[in-house]
Amino acid sequence: MSIPRARLRHTALIGLAAIGLSGALAACSADTEAPASDGPVEITFQSWVPNIDQAVDAFNDAHDDVNVTLETITAGPDGGYAKMLAAVQAGNAADVAQVGYSDLPDFVVADGLEDISSYVGDSEDLFTPWQWESGVFNEAVYAVPQASGPLVQFYRSDIFAEAGVAYPTTWEEYYEAAKAIRATGPDRYITAFAFNQAAWMIGLAQQGGATWFGTSGDAWDVAIDSPETVKVAEFWQKLIDEDLVKVEADFSSEWNADLQSGNVATWIVGSWGDAILRGTAPDTAGLWSAGLVPQWEAGGTESATWAGGSASVVLKGSDHPEEAAEFALWLNSDPGSVSILTSIGAGWPAISDVSVIPSLQDDPAVFEFYGGQNIWEVAAESDAAVGDAWKWPPLASTLFADLTDNVKAGIEGGTPLTDSFSKTQTDIVDAMTEKGISVN
Amino acid sequence: MVNTTLSRSRSRTRTRPRTPAPRPGLGARIVVNGVLGLTAVYFLLPLVWVLIASTKSPGELFGTFGLWFSDSPQALANIVAVFTQDDGLFGRWIANSLLYAGVGALGATVLSVACGYGLAKYVFRGREALFSLILGGVLVPATIVALPLYFLLNPLGVTGTVWSVLLPSMVSPFGVYLARIHASSSVADEVLEAARIDGANDLRIFGSIATRMMTPAIVTIFLFQFVSIWNNYLLPLVMLNSTSTFPVTLGLTLWNSQTQRDPAFYQLVITGSAVSALLLVILMVALQRFWRADLSAGASKG
Amino acid sequence: MSSVRQSRSSAAVLIIPFMVMFGLFFVAPIIYALVESLFSVKASGLGFGAPERIFVAADNYLAALSSSSFVGSLLRLVAFAAIEVPLMVVTAAGLALLIDSAHARFPKFFKIVAFAPYGVPGVIAAILWGFLYIPATSPVLQVLERFGLDLNPLSSGTVLFAIANIALWSFAGYNMFILLAALAAIPKELYEAARLDGSGELAIVWHVKLPLLRPSIVLVTVFTIIGTLQLFVEPLILRPLSTAIGSDFTPNLAAYNQTFGQGNPNLAAAMAVIVALLGFLFSFGFLQLVNRKGKSAW
Repeated sequence: MSIPRARLRHTALIGLAAIGLSGALAACSADTEAPASDGPVEITFQSWVPNIDQAVDAFNDAHDDVNVTLETITAGPDGGYAKMLAAVQAGNAADVAQVGYSDLPDFVVADGLEDISSYVGDSEDLFTPWQWESGVFNEAVYAVPQASGPLVQFYRSDIFAEAGVAYPTTWEEYYEAAKAIRATGPDRYITAFAFNQAAWMIGLAQQGGATWFGTSGDAWDVAIDSPETVKVAEFWQKLIDEDLVKVEADFSSEWNADLQSGNVATWIVGSWGDAILRGTAPDTAGLWSAGLVPQWEAGGTESATWAGGSASVVLKGSDHPEEAAEFALWLNSDPGSVSILTSIGAGWPAISDVSVIPSLQDDPAVFEFYGGQNIWEVAAESDAAVGDAWKWPPLASTLFADLTDNVKAGIEGGTPLTDSFSKTQTDIVDAMTEKGISVN
Repeated sequence: MVNTTLSRSRSRTRTRPRTPAPRPGLGARIVVNGVLGLTAVYFLLPLVWVLIASTKSPGELFGTFGLWFSDSPQALANIVAVFTQDDGLFGRWIANSLLYAGVGALGATVLSVACGYGLAKYVFRGREALFSLILGGVLVPATIVALPLYFLLNPLGVTGTVWSVLLPSMVSPFGVYLARIHASSSVADEVLEAARIDGANDLRIFGSIATRMMTPAIVTIFLFQFVSIWNNYLLPLVMLNSTSTFPVTLGLTLWNSQTQRDPAFYQLVITGSAVSALLLVILMVALQRFWRADLSAGASKG
Repeated sequence: MSSVRQSRSSAAVLIIPFMVMFGLFFVAPIIYALVESLFSVKASGLGFGAPERIFVAADNYLAALSSSSFVGSLLRLVAFAAIEVPLMVVTAAGLALLIDSAHARFPKFFKIVAFAPYGVPGVIAAILWGFLYIPATSPVLQVLERFGLDLNPLSSGTVLFAIANIALWSFAGYNMFILLAALAAIPKELYEAARLDGSGELAIVWHVKLPLLRPSIVLVTVFTIIGTLQLFVEPLILRPLSTAIGSDFTPNLAAYNQTFGQGNPNLAAAMAVIVALLGFLFSFGFLQLVNRKGKSAW
């Protein structure tokens, strides 16, 4: 009969249309080819930094020949990186992407980045040496550094005055200050021990002079439980044991409440922590100041970073690597762009000459929170003091996750922090060997 | 099968005189209703909390008592903030959820009902083996499907698009199971035979006669799959990358992770959760009478 | 003869579309996982060179099963199921029986209230309960604190119960619905007969309702078992709030982490296969246990 046959054909047609539509959509989501004739080159940029669209818009306004489309994605560490790599393998990756310094080795290992030495190689002088080096592997440039998180210590100057202690310039003085502050109130602590924050702990170890990863020959040296790290771990263990620091997850609502109430008096964090502090505890404006991280040796100038920093890379297989590299370079070095990036909290700029950044010279909105202090000077001093010995290994995400798990377990089980670091040493060496990477 | 015959027999025996149930004692009534009252409080607690919390300003969230309003409620301002954040991204998320759940459930219903009916009414070699294979799909955990599927769809360029969520959502083994059970019990073979003798084509019988008899099952399968897809977190988490394709569940966890950067997001998360939860609870309450749970119960007897 | 051909082609039209989708989006990934679990991607030297894919047979499985954290996650899952399944079944059955009893006033209201949480996605439920589990925002904890009870539901001793509570809150009403429907189908004559025999309410529950409810209870139990094996969302959301939840708290979390965090989808595939096998084991084991008593559950 005609009716059912028509329905059959109808169903078949719908089916074919569906398949065709999905094919078309699939093709659309793949790389769009550059128009052969005139028209700007279209490139895509993947990032999760809030408000970075302002910088992208600025680029598009200033350039007729290249047009950048921003794609907001899940944060890299939360899965965004894995999807970038999967897209590279499938051949439909974006052109430019946001990748943290600590994750660059993983991308290079997975052959996920374009070598952009020929496009940006001679712009090396624009950037701070250690930040530039983060993107260099086997003498090829794979990333344009964007910003870093040099560690500074934000502290409640009023609470320090109340406790009668001066700003601690050494860890010895920090210990004394911790005791004094603890005595000012039953719930008062000098700081929170953020057991959940691997970046914080790694930064402190780096500042203590530890270099966890290095290469000699064709293999890696892994020294997570080096004497320097043990020194740092034992120091903080002492603070925990004597109830001088509050064992608390940072960025948690309890920690927020403690910042607001003054129960936590200091915070060692990357310079971008300023925006978070002002957002979390607006009622404490005027009571904070910034200082350098206490030193292990009096008169020393050792600083470190919070997980390195962030860079712009060109993903492998991009149809327009030159334009992509051009955008990456402009984004991270043009004074106007860097000014925007700093104002949206991207971090301490990677360019070496920050005198061209207006928002960093005079920033009353920010300085007021710190009683008028120019905190960017502290950030600059810290950034300059970051050594370039620190290397990030492949499997950095494993390192972060494993360290957090081990420290959490240590806190839970009451075992010393040094054990957590030793376990992390074994775990990471195992993980690297499992992957086929040579470890000394 | 037992279900439907019993309901028919109940109406036929109306004429017999019934022995009345004894009047319930007061003590028993207090206990039963007291327990039920407590459980009602339990079920309502998070919903009441989130509704109240969504009226507070970000600063008051942590300062005031959870189950009472603050001095200056600002529900409207919070709702506006949620819908204007990031150029209306939240509205986009809700639209996405409706797309995935609505279209997905529609597709799933069509496919499952056809297949379930086919398995119920046609006998062929390997029918039971096929059905067991489909049933096995109900037992399979989501990770072993979603994670590898990502790597299969990736080279095709489908991942990251709406199809990567829509197409897998249209596969409902449980729907086939429900459809088969209901087709067996409620679509009488005699009716089918009669129609066939009249010369009607098989597919026409399915399309016009059987589907009408299976309407309760169709509605139930649609609702069940709608809720399943709406609630599914792992599939969109694995497949989607660009925030503009996110369903509301993924979107809210994105904001939840941003509370670290900016505590203002706490209030966005809470108000956003309140809006989504309210939407769905209203939907559930309105539709629960269509939910023929006796299908699942009857299924187990059949 | 033409009717046989007609039925064969119409059967095909009805069944094949689903089977194609099922094959593409269900069976294919599972087969892919099984195959991928037998391979591994290895780097060499410093790691800065193209990696290669090699066949490693059961190495991934051995690695997973010898990993203390993965085995820990499996055991944790079993412990969680041991808590959640009885809790859910007893609660859902208890609620159904209470509402079905003659004593309940406003049964419709209670039914709706219990069913409402089913519509709230697990993610949102976890976010909400996450706020209710921390003293800073939880009215319950704040009230208890005033009575001197300093509870931390997310500490390692109680975190499984905290998660079980979220699952219970979400699905008890739904399961109760299924059981209520089964109860509604019980012919009233059976109650009359029992009352004529002199049975009280509780006896009726024990001797009439529960036995007839058995198949539905089995169904609810199997679904709950399957559900507990999926545990992923609640620990994922609660992780930043708790010291007790690591990145591989449950096997599903571990598999997800291996795929998108550690970049090792082959190991993740092996983990997923192990969990799937565990699931089959539990479900079939339970059904066998029930079937051995003579009655068929399906």
